[in-house]
Amino acid sequence: MARFRLRDLRGLFVVIVHPRDPDGQAMLEQMERIGCKTELVWPPKRELPTNADVVFLGLFFDNRKDLTDMIRRSEKPGPAIIGVVDYENPAMLEFVLEIGAIAVTSKPVRSFGILTNLVVGYANSLREQEAQDRIARLEKKLLGKRNIAEAKTVLIRMHGMNEEDAYKLIRERAMDKRMTIEDMAQAIIDANHLLSGP
Amino acid sequence: MAFRGAPVTIGMLFSQTGVTAVLESSQRKAAMLAVSQINASGGLLERELVLLDSDPASNPARFKTEAERLLDEGAEALFGCYMSSTRKAVLPVVEARGSLLFYPTLYEGFEYMPSCIYSGAAPNQNAGMLADYLTEMHGTRYFFVGSNYVFPYESNRIMRDLLSNRGATVTDEVYISLDPSEDEIARVIKMVSSAGPVVVFSTLVGDGAVRFYKAYDEAGFDRTAQPIASLTFGEPEIQALGSGSATGHIKAAPYFSVIDTPANRAFVAAYREAFGPDCAICAEAEAAYFQVKLFAEAVRRSGKTDRMSIIRTLPTFSLEAPQGSVRVDGSTHHTHLWPRVAVVGENGAFQIMRESARPVAPDPYLVALENSLDDLVADANLGRF
Repeated sequence: MARFRLRDLRGLFVVIVHPRDPDGQAMLEQMERIGCKTELVWPPKRELPTNADVVFLGLFFDNRKDLTDMIRRSEKPGPAIIGVVDYENPAMLEFVLEIGAIAVTSKPVRSFGILTNLVVGYANSLREQEAQDRIARLEKKLLGKRNIAEAKTVLIRMHGMNEEDAYKLIRERAMDKRMTIEDMAQAIIDANHLLSGP
Repeated sequence: MAFRGAPVTIGMLFSQTGVTAVLESSQRKAAMLAVSQINASGGLLERELVLLDSDPASNPARFKTEAERLLDEGAEALFGCYMSSTRKAVLPVVEARGSLLFYPTLYEGFEYMPSCIYSGAAPNQNAGMLADYLTEMHGTRYFFVGSNYVFPYESNRIMRDLLSNRGATVTDEVYISLDPSEDEIARVIKMVSSAGPVVVFSTLVGDGAVRFYKAYDEAGFDRTAQPIASLTFGEPEIQALGSGSATGHIKAAPYFSVIDTPANRAFVAAYREAFGPDCAICAEAEAAYFQVKLFAEAVRRSGKTDRMSIIRTLPTFSLEAPQGSVRVDGSTHHTHLWPRVAVVGENGAFQIMRESARPVAPDPYLVALENSLDDLVADANLGRF
């Protein structure tokens, strides 16, 4: 995934989940100055609009369930969520953590600071997403390696092969069947389980 | 002239001493001229417009305390500031007191304060046209030199973008003190000479800029091939430098005192009658002039002097400024202005080379200035000047 470049700022889709009161209006007007595509959503809907990059989310206790449900139901990986808060007591802090905010901005909303929050919040969410993708790739690779080792052991035991030939066989079969080596290894392990019986 | 009712008081924040005194003094005179013209024509709603003076001495801390003093003394709105650092020092005071600052200077953009009206150019109103002109006329190699504060850093970022989008390269980017030593200037001059054929883009401001241009002249660069381009080095600086030493240098701005229109001829004549026939008048002074007129017109139209009435009324009308028709944008509080590029001629006066065919809307939050202003440009050779 590409790093966020400032010149792409105006390509971002920003959703403001907040009543159209002076704070909501101030955010909407500042987004207009910055020049991002923007949509104001209130009351909370079932899901966030699709393709949102950043969400400024007003944290209202009386809408807590609707707000957290809306975030939970939305597509993954989700947008960068910036909480818009008017208290910083522990109950509010729990709320901030619950919705997975990557940044917060305080009320009354001032135009100064929104741009910085937007940029830092979005760049951090990209970085986090990139880290998550990388972890997922590594986990899959690790699991694959373990499976290949196990499949080799099966072949060595059942067919009296040496390790190198076992690996070659897995690789050739994978190529024949147009599968990855990891998937072929998994298939061999599964077949072995079926044959070995109770 | 008989006035009825209490006067309307406004305050000026223009340095008469310090590194940017030359420029800010010309802004101060322009504001004073506007006030005297308004009073001569009956004042505001038959009330006298009273101007409180100050000398914040090019120093952000002094700007803050002087802003507080002017507001304590009853100013309804403040007019002034040149360097961004001084504007940043004043705005929290103005915001806290619910007042207004009219800021008459080009700056680096990326700001919107509800309590500020920006009447100088945003980057999209000067830098874009300058980059077009430079790359068409002066090739592809540029050397950046700037004073060490926020405006030069952001202006250079924007200019680097614009130039590289047009196939040009920046060979070096150096910063020197706001009040540079002779050694610092000499070091940069040496770097420019060893950089080969480059055009200099300068974001130096104040006395340091004049001293740099002087050293550049003494070093003997061929200014037809290697001019210095800037957004700031205008008529007062040329006067301080000596007109023969400035020929060939380039400036982009919405206003030059040579603009040949009835509105500008009247402005220049009145300014010189008030302050002397040799007075240099620059874009920042013109903005300082017309923003007082903008305030006055908003007071006349709304019948009120409070901040909300002024802010609500400003975007509802256009004003015939010396540069052309101008209007405040309600969303950004910046002003629709007329981009122009001019070159200093043999006599030390600017010659306008390009100008926009219509006012250009301010876009202070534009990160990447990519679009060429070509479609807005009428060539100055077409007989307009």
